[in-house]
Amino acid sequence: MTTPNEPQPKVDSAPSASPPAVPAPTAVVPPKPVAATAPRPAAPAQPPPPPAPPAPNPLAHLPLPFKGVDYAAKGYHADATVSPDQVIAAAEVLDKEGLSLDTITGVDWMAEGQMEVVYDYFHPAKALRVVVRTRIPRDNPEIASIHKVFPGANWHERETHDFFGIRFLGHPNLTPFLLPEDADFHPLRKDYAP
Amino acid sequence: METPESNAQLLSDCAPYVKFAKLDEMLALGRANSLWPLTFGLACCAIEMMAAGASRFDISRFGAEVFRPSPRQADLMIVAGTVNKKMAAAVKTLYDQMPEPKWVIAMGNCAISGGPFVFPGQYAVVEGVDKLFPVDVFIPGCPPRPEALIEGLLKLEEKLTGKRRWPTVKPE
Amino acid sequence: MIAKDAILSNGGANETFVLNLGPQHPATHGVLRVKMTMDGEYIVRAEPVCGYIHRMQEKMGENRTYAQFLPNTSRIDYLSAMTYTHGFVGAVERALKLQVPPRAEYIRVITSEMNRISSHLVWWGAFLLDLGGFTPLLYAFDDREKILDLLESITGSRLTYSYFRIGGVYNDVDDQFLKGTREFVAQMRPRLKMYRALVTDNIILRKRLIDIGPISKEMCRKYGATGPVIRGSGVTYDVRRVEPYSVYSEFDFVIPTCEETDSMARYAVRMEEMVQSLRIIEQALDKLPAGPVMAEKVPRVLKLPAGDYCYATEAARGRFAVRIVSDGKEIPYRVKLRTPSLSNLSLFEEASAGMLLPDALALMGSLDLVIPDIDR
Repeated sequence: MTTPNEPQPKVDSAPSASPPAVPAPTAVVPPKPVAATAPRPAAPAQPPPPPAPPAPNPLAHLPLPFKGVDYAAKGYHADATVSPDQVIAAAEVLDKEGLSLDTITGVDWMAEGQMEVVYDYFHPAKALRVVVRTRIPRDNPEIASIHKVFPGANWHERETHDFFGIRFLGHPNLTPFLLPEDADFHPLRKDYAP
Repeated sequence: METPESNAQLLSDCAPYVKFAKLDEMLALGRANSLWPLTFGLACCAIEMMAAGASRFDISRFGAEVFRPSPRQADLMIVAGTVNKKMAAAVKTLYDQMPEPKWVIAMGNCAISGGPFVFPGQYAVVEGVDKLFPVDVFIPGCPPRPEALIEGLLKLEEKLTGKRRWPTVKPE
Repeated sequence: MIAKDAILSNGGANETFVLNLGPQHPATHGVLRVKMTMDGEYIVRAEPVCGYIHRMQEKMGENRTYAQFLPNTSRIDYLSAMTYTHGFVGAVERALKLQVPPRAEYIRVITSEMNRISSHLVWWGAFLLDLGGFTPLLYAFDDREKILDLLESITGSRLTYSYFRIGGVYNDVDDQFLKGTREFVAQMRPRLKMYRALVTDNIILRKRLIDIGPISKEMCRKYGATGPVIRGSGVTYDVRRVEPYSVYSEFDFVIPTCEETDSMARYAVRMEEMVQSLRIIEQALDKLPAGPVMAEKVPRVLKLPAGDYCYATEAARGRFAVRIVSDGKEIPYRVKLRTPSLSNLSLFEEASAGMLLPDALALMGSLDLVIPDIDR
């Protein structure tokens, strides 16, 4: 395949911009370069003081109900609660935006009879962390799989199915992932008892 | 006429001259000085097992550096880490595949009892590998230091030969 | 590459067989199992099977208090325990709006970066062991023991530190540690040069890694791969730079990237990261402020306000993120641990299709997997 390939310094690319702060996350793709995530200054202490007022919405140009979130308080920049049939559309929109799938997880709200499915996304080039959440009925937890948009969702969905019993419709291989092959229990449900 | 009594008499008569047990002792000495552990890391403890085999701690000072990737060639299984229910069958198979005589060291709290991963209602962890097969030496710690693993090896040698190779260092 | 198309376009016309790799296999670094459908020496499909060391970390998060869960965080990825503990305490501090004293933050950075170097050293030794070179492991562990000595002197543990506490760190560093760390930095630089001469420039290694296992930028993005994997594909993504946490924004360091996308790129990125970590340690030692190492008024009983809180750190393997969902009680309602190895391994099936088996093992080694990090 390759020729011996003389020992070249392969590394030493000096990529990102000025050391101190975030790579200025201005232009969020075409439409409106909305104000972008609060350009946080070099903060010496733990929660960096948020200079921006009510937290601007970095994804206001998207057709999804995103709300800006104070990063310093919550750890993400935008949050959207969508209906269960919108998750694929949300994934497609965020995929076009250049985001990457961070993880998928569930939260069992037993008292309310609901399961929350949480999709975390991050942007591989700028400070933009996005949460998409939806709620489905707890007694029949079914939601569409987004593995066609993000193939990485495959394992996260299997794991969520393991832990909560949420069925991801259209998933190619919804078999136990972390639990034994014959597992028929969902340990992170709040009413789980061995 | 040979009777059991006469045989016993004969054995006791020649006991000062012939020692059959010496062969066993010699074999035990050989085994104790060249334990071949199975390369079998499970979790955190496996890193300390690697450290025990690497430069500073150098387990080969005690003849146990020949880590074998195949259970068929090993006579010592160091269970280094948590065994869960999905893994238990595989661990048991590995133990069964090792030829006799064989010994087992349970390294770390997880292998001893499930360690920090045991709580009421737990669903995954095997609470101690002695539920799967007999264990000769238990080494506590989370994870145990490499010195502790070496001490465990010495304990196992002591079990095999009946005497300790090195004097015990008393804690001050 | 030639074979890849031939194998995959054949549509299964050739006779294939299933090869089971693991869960006990020296090349999988733990208890990963890979079900491989093989066409001769070529991989048609390699499907990782996980869960052989699932340890209920997330379930345990739901039945103990925040302080009680702390030791668990060092046992998720035991090779870079500091950053994992940092992610968890960071989320709790964020929820409680705790101000961590600057000295504690600097100590966190110093210890995290030392931990990163020790983690990369283990990877380096073990990876080369996979590729057939035994000697580098002995060099790597020699240097690693020096780091562990230093960390042990302040944390009391060699591997699973639990040194970061909610509101600061467990105890202050002493002069001996600071002096020893400076000495270590001075010693480590020439060692890394030696590693380069000894191993990196070795023609055998280069032949073994260059052009093996390319992972494109797009594949990284689709699978959520992070850490040296995405940086080896030419993307400058590092949580320390993109979402700077702790005091990382105060240091001058470079995020090494490599455009080649092959296994050698990931190798080179990690080797350079050690150099950069040394730089960060040195700067942090120079700037280390005086003062307390624990926040005042950390409540004895921790109750987080209801809501969810995220915190991400850059672990040695990539982005580690914690999500704590609290309902206002002493015990978290849900603790989600997003671990980098899971996402990094999930692209293995696609990336390894059509590769030779020994090359796929080189690819797997270059992903730097810690299996309990996947299974949790």
